[in-house]
Amino acid sequence: MLSPLFFDVWNGIVNKDLKNWSWTLLTLLILFAMGAGLWVATKKIDYNWRWNRVPQYFLYHNENVKTVPFDGRVTKIDQAGDTATISVLSEDDDVQTFVVDAETVRVEVNEDLFEGDSLGSTFTWRIGPLLHGLWVTLWLSAAASLFGLIIGLITGLCRISSNITLRQLSIFYIEIIRGTPLLVQIFIFYFFLGTVLDISRIVAGISALAIFAGAYVAEIIRAGIQSIPKGQMEAARSLGMNVPQAMIYIILPQAFKRILPPLAGQFISLIKDSSLVSVIAITDLTKSGREVITSTFATFEIWFIVALLYLLLTSVLSQVIAWVERRLAVSD
Amino acid sequence: MIKTVDLKKTFVGRGQTVHAVDGVTAHVKKGEVVVIIGPSGSGKSTYLRCLNGLETLSSGHIHVDGVDLADRKTDLNKVRREVGMVFQQFNLFPHKTVLENLVLAQMVVRKRSRNEAERKGRELLKKVGIAEKEKEYPIRLSGGQQQRVAIARALAMEPKVMLFDEPTSALDPEMVGEVLEVMKQLAREGMTMVVVTHEMGFAREVADRVLFMDHGKLVEEGTPEHFFTNPQEERAQLFLKQVL
Repeated sequence: MLSPLFFDVWNGIVNKDLKNWSWTLLTLLILFAMGAGLWVATKKIDYNWRWNRVPQYFLYHNENVKTVPFDGRVTKIDQAGDTATISVLSEDDDVQTFVVDAETVRVEVNEDLFEGDSLGSTFTWRIGPLLHGLWVTLWLSAAASLFGLIIGLITGLCRISSNITLRQLSIFYIEIIRGTPLLVQIFIFYFFLGTVLDISRIVAGISALAIFAGAYVAEIIRAGIQSIPKGQMEAARSLGMNVPQAMIYIILPQAFKRILPPLAGQFISLIKDSSLVSVIAITDLTKSGREVITSTFATFEIWFIVALLYLLLTSVLSQVIAWVERRLAVSD
Repeated sequence: MIKTVDLKKTFVGRGQTVHAVDGVTAHVKKGEVVVIIGPSGSGKSTYLRCLNGLETLSSGHIHVDGVDLADRKTDLNKVRREVGMVFQQFNLFPHKTVLENLVLAQMVVRKRSRNEAERKGRELLKKVGIAEKEKEYPIRLSGGQQQRVAIARALAMEPKVMLFDEPTSALDPEMVGEVLEVMKQLAREGMTMVVVTHEMGFAREVADRVLFMDHGKLVEEGTPEHFFTNPQEERAQLFLKQVL
């Protein structure tokens, strides 16, 4: 977010473009003042910022304690680099070896051990709830976008079809979805359709999002198709193509290029709207954030982090779309 | 080749009924070049668009190579591939290169292989004199070049008839000549052509027959000599006085 601003300032300094970079500097100053205001405000309510507690909810080092499954005696400990191999002789004269991290060895050679005594530990990196939530939000939105695009394409084509029933049905669908809140739709999908059709919460969540997005995508696609000059369809038809062929080869490729920006906006909205599925207990980024807060009480920090993670997802998406747009611009 | 019998086309909109084509009976023989002229709004373009089914006719009959377009069982797509059309606004596909514009319909409609379609496409681009532009996108071409590509695109389908809907009206004056030259060449090769145009010079030089339309009706019909020198109808006389 801020990097383009700094980039502007740097460019201004390098190119001695005093006028532009001083304005950018002013922007930075205002942003800084706002940040300082926030800091002062939190000082007043005695909030303890504990940013150091946040990283462990992304990734954490999980300790696996190794214990002896029988009574026995330690015969030898071989150290090799960071790991140690502990050999234990059981009462039945079996020798069993255990590999642990060298620093964590808690026994000595010839020490007598009882069943359940700990020998040492190994560590593995585990994904924390925030990263897991980010992943769930990512694939949930991706799946909903894909289905939303398919639903939107079909509905958009029905919307401009010459068949009256198809047209009326698509208008009916679009009006119902656009006229009701997404939150209510999610509840209906989960509690009503979920019960009647016996679908899981994930399927209910993705369907609600996809059908919601589909209504908006349909209108975008309709507008895109209608923005292509009539002559294109006439030219295609006069070459002997039927309507589906003309759509696939001539109209849709051109329409797609035009609707990419509004479509991108719609999918960015979808990523943000996906936070609402946390109300039906899908552990997405928002719900993960709430769960972390209940165990840390670092309310402010976690919500800021959650917002930042959503921002990360949406800005990556808009960069990708901008790249596709540039690729498609070759024929302009 | 083309027979139209009492062709009528009415548009209904905003409470008004417009008789764009009002009972036109005319025939085009194989290898004939027919030029349709007339004032704006006389229904000549609509008449032309009816000939390949871009407009559905309100009543009457059109037979193209023996197939009745008014018959509901007729597959219009099959008729259209035999009838090439060139538009006033070129209507090239802007997202495809020049060569792709020529290749696409050949592959999709005629089911030709890419190699065959490209060979045919290059041959035609050479014929209309823009072989070197095959990799360009239409937007980078001048109007005249675009229209020549559009003619080549229609020819790639190997149509039996070519329809031209004011092919030079959207062009800058200095580019009109190059497009007319291509059309004259086509006429010399014996292509059956129906041309709606305001180019009286072209009509005089190339046409086998001239049709004069006004208010949706076929007012006068005859050879160019007859039409330009000795028109019978008052409206035709008036029109010629204004344009010549």
